[in-house]
Amino acid sequence: MAEGNVQGPSEVPDELKDTVTLTTLEKMIEAMGDLLSPVVSPIANAARSNSVWPLTFGTSCCAIEMMSVGMSKFDISRFGSEVFRATPRQADMIITAGTITRKMAPALITLYEQLPEPKYVIAMGACTVTGGMFNDSYSVVQGVDRIIPVDIYLPGCPPRPEGILDALLKLQQKIRTESYAERKKKKYRQNAVRYVDYDTGRPLEDLVDEARYETALALDPLKSLQESK
Amino acid sequence: MSETPAAKPPEEPKGPGLCGQFLKDHGIATTRLPDSCGVETIEIDGAHLEAAMKLLRGSSEIKLDYLVAVSGVDSADTFDSVYQLWSYSNNNELIIKVRVKKTDVVEGQLPLVPSLSRFWSAANWHERETYDLVGIRYYGHPYLRRILNVWDWDGHPLRRDYKQLVDALNDKAPGSFR
Repeated sequence: MAEGNVQGPSEVPDELKDTVTLTTLEKMIEAMGDLLSPVVSPIANAARSNSVWPLTFGTSCCAIEMMSVGMSKFDISRFGSEVFRATPRQADMIITAGTITRKMAPALITLYEQLPEPKYVIAMGACTVTGGMFNDSYSVVQGVDRIIPVDIYLPGCPPRPEGILDALLKLQQKIRTESYAERKKKKYRQNAVRYVDYDTGRPLEDLVDEARYETALALDPLKSLQESK
Repeated sequence: MSETPAAKPPEEPKGPGLCGQFLKDHGIATTRLPDSCGVETIEIDGAHLEAAMKLLRGSSEIKLDYLVAVSGVDSADTFDSVYQLWSYSNNNELIIKVRVKKTDVVEGQLPLVPSLSRFWSAANWHERETYDLVGIRYYGHPYLRRILNVWDWDGHPLRRDYKQLVDALNDKAPGSFR
């Protein structure tokens, strides 16, 4: 089996290479998919874009607008997104409605990673776009794109329900214009940008660096002392 | 930038107010501070806090039976633990401050104030919050743990000397205007 020869967008990511092997049949199907993409993609994408089910995820005032858009006056079900799922396993999209604090960040990352691929994120409201009025705060994550990848940015404090509908339409447009190759990229695990520690509220990469530094210090104190000089 | 006129210092209170007099009659010494927004404000020694609270809550004439909030202030030279009391029956308010001088605080330890949560359960979460943000240790509290921040947080964010953590979650983005 020559996994190394797999080329193009259907390439298996490095971290999955030991578990995923593409058979000749799968490669044939992929080649067929590439061939039929102009015909199949519009149909498949139209179906997918009209059934984007959001996750019930609201952390503050934006959630009120998100509830409002689900009710009959604004009625998000006209666009096929009426089914707010209470579990990430059944949802396609997160609307991050509200401020994300350092304490909430690990939970949001967990929810994002539990969504089945392909998954989409709408960063709703000023807090999740840039930190908003909690600019330079000690506890607020300054923009949700620092922890999970975001597809649509929806500014406003909070945005009106029409704004959410507009963001949804933009997301649908994005899904509709996806080609077969782009969809292939999303077949594999989409990870969070960075992970946050439950106990300290700090990025895990910083904690790992700190631990590495301390280990080095403990193993060879003299060398570290010289380096610091 | 126009220069703002210096704020007028608040007027010194005349004598003990209603609640101050009541506590004095029952043998608890208090110091009256300038009124805060028209509400009587008294300072009390931490050792007498529990007795004073029980008196104010239990007496039929004062009946300050609603603990609105417990908060903390990091003043220039003291740590203040502030209690706001309300009486529904008399439509009366009182603010009590327990002040711990910064010079009295042992190096590397937190200022100590007695807890009210043993007999006033409303104080439980408020004291945890004050501990979390201002760093006042309420002794006698059944479960003094951080309530808003994560449990392993470093420092107390509303302290004057708090250095804010800067990492990948809140550093300055290259294109940002702040």
